[in-house]
Amino acid sequence: MLKCTINGKPVEVKPGTSIIQAFKQLGEEIAHYCWHPALSVAGVCRLCMVEIEGNPRLQIACNTTVAEGMVVTNQSEKVKDAVKWGMDFHLINHPLDCPICDQAGECGLQDQYMKFGKYDPEMAEKKVNKRKVVDLGERVVLDSERCILCSRCVRFTEEITKTNELGIFNRGDRSEIGTFEGKPLDNNYSVNTVDICPVGALTSKDFRFKQRVWFLKDKASICNGCSTGCNVEVDYNKEGIWRLRPRYNEQVNGYWMCDVGRDVYKNVNRVHTDVEGERGEKQVKKSISRLVQAVHRLNGQSEYMQTGFAVSKVRETLSQYKKGDVALVVTGQQTSEEYEALLSYFTKSFAADDVFHWQNNPEAWGEFDGLLLRGDRNPNTKGLIKAFEKHKVKSTAWTQDLGKYKLVLLVAPENLAAYPNIREKADLLKNNKTVVVLTTSQIPEFANLPDETWQIPMKSFMEKAGTFVNFSGLEQKFAPVTTIVDAAVSADEFVAALNGQALEQVQKIYTNPTERVENQFIFQRGSL
Amino acid sequence: MSTYKVHIPEVKKTWYLPAIFTGLGFTFKKMIQNLANKKQMPTLNYPEEKYEYSPRFKGNHVLTVKKDGKIRCTACMLCATACPAQCITIHASEDKDPSVEKYPISYEIDILRCVFCGFCEEACPVDAIRMGPEWQTPGHNGDNFVYDIKKLAYRHNLNEGKGVQSVVDDSDRHKII
Repeated sequence: MLKCTINGKPVEVKPGTSIIQAFKQLGEEIAHYCWHPALSVAGVCRLCMVEIEGNPRLQIACNTTVAEGMVVTNQSEKVKDAVKWGMDFHLINHPLDCPICDQAGECGLQDQYMKFGKYDPEMAEKKVNKRKVVDLGERVVLDSERCILCSRCVRFTEEITKTNELGIFNRGDRSEIGTFEGKPLDNNYSVNTVDICPVGALTSKDFRFKQRVWFLKDKASICNGCSTGCNVEVDYNKEGIWRLRPRYNEQVNGYWMCDVGRDVYKNVNRVHTDVEGERGEKQVKKSISRLVQAVHRLNGQSEYMQTGFAVSKVRETLSQYKKGDVALVVTGQQTSEEYEALLSYFTKSFAADDVFHWQNNPEAWGEFDGLLLRGDRNPNTKGLIKAFEKHKVKSTAWTQDLGKYKLVLLVAPENLAAYPNIREKADLLKNNKTVVVLTTSQIPEFANLPDETWQIPMKSFMEKAGTFVNFSGLEQKFAPVTTIVDAAVSADEFVAALNGQALEQVQKIYTNPTERVENQFIFQRGSL
Repeated sequence: MSTYKVHIPEVKKTWYLPAIFTGLGFTFKKMIQNLANKKQMPTLNYPEEKYEYSPRFKGNHVLTVKKDGKIRCTACMLCATACPAQCITIHASEDKDPSVEKYPISYEIDILRCVFCGFCEEACPVDAIRMGPEWQTPGHNGDNFVYDIKKLAYRHNLNEGKGVQSVVDDSDRHKII
């Protein structure tokens, strides 16, 4: 271990650590754009200048390794002056379109301009005009004028995804980021470049212009898109969920997450409409709506009712049946706590052999794309198998017609994108008298079954606390983010109500007192 | 429980008629004065006669337009952020023109919530919202008080039914006065 002093504070670091890592280790602030902990060192932004005692010139902290007894500071006037002039060079060609820019509010350039900026620019020449609103690929839009050429995105495609779509073209102040002819940025990790972009040059098509970031609050959660279980930050406000960003976890996902996982919030919002098409001529592609009320459907007539009433009716119906009459169908999309509740109730009241495991694509479960995305698109298949073993349930893959059962209790999947074969599965329920479906989204296939159907609105993974066991057996607990549908119940609350408790008492409605404040910014005025 | 002792002054038993006649005399004097010199009368016959405020009066909001008639607003939502009454709702969308990029597809002001502080006008970086001179805006029901983008950008009821639009172009805006 090497001993050094940073801003007057002693710190011990491993040999080979760069000065900027030592700053981060100590929690000291240091200005930087191009350095990213997961990427190689480029040393192009020249903003992480530090003064090293005994060294006549300033050095960049990202490309200088710590030596024994080094005394480093970035608080001196010399450093501040250097950063100020560095900022001025970055802003020579940077347009003043923060009002339109989606990055405003979480922009490195804005933050550091407020801290170090030279508010009177020296540059009298006209700014170089570059391409605006360049379509880079399926999910990313580039604005070349805003780019400060930190090359983070280029290094990301080079080192992390190894697809090399992006490059820097031209020379001098005309250089800009771009893709090659006919090779768009369409890998499955493309939106990570938006996250690491320190300015608003790369923006996500999905989030673009939807919200200003200061209207959003974030909360930690786990992605339910596949069995990797990436740690995510959920950005939401009282209107719903707006986007997911990766949260650093060394054991699971590092700094990244995949584009497939970024779409899982669409199943959580009350109504989500996907649009497709060129600028200004967009058309609705598909729309997902949450089930917001319990529905009872008998002889083609639908009746909407309170969840508590529906659950009590289901309980009455279930009490008429004995072992062998009822089947339970579960997917790998629920939390371990819910499996525990469901299976302990079911094995006690009915036969353990009548539990079916609805598998979406078991032949692809072993697949892995080498970075994060796994073929098993269920977040908790391991947890389900564990629960099966604990309750001595012989798990049967659901492939046969369930006509021999009088009632089927079906816990439908949340992430509908991972279940393309819902139509076929609905056909397997055609001969059943009564089907009880616990579902988050409105699934028309299950709503139109021939006989009696109960649909109970279920909480999505962002509305309940629980545990997901990922592919490697790592248990990850998560807390609720917000409440989207008030009438929804989780499967364990549903089971508690079936066991005779009043639903109003067991249903946990999560509310965050600060959520009532729509516009937090105005209460923090002056802290900018 | 605590009790309060209230001090009630003793009312003097005096004649009240002299005071009444003094008051009536003052009123009568003013009436004669006003009839003799109508121009100096401070009151107005309100619905027929209207008071003219200064052109800088901060009344109902106006969204300004560019010379080509497009709205100036870029939907940056700084007005909605600055608004202490939270009465501004904006939904942004992408414009076909890459030099415009972002524009509001809906801009609503709940005028009954508005406190006319003028922060929106102050926060706007592109001079897209201004407080206009209009101040008499009665309505029959609550619906009329959520002003939409059409009403804010184009006052059809003003100028004897011809409508008023306030045009601010970049060239005018950056002119040094």
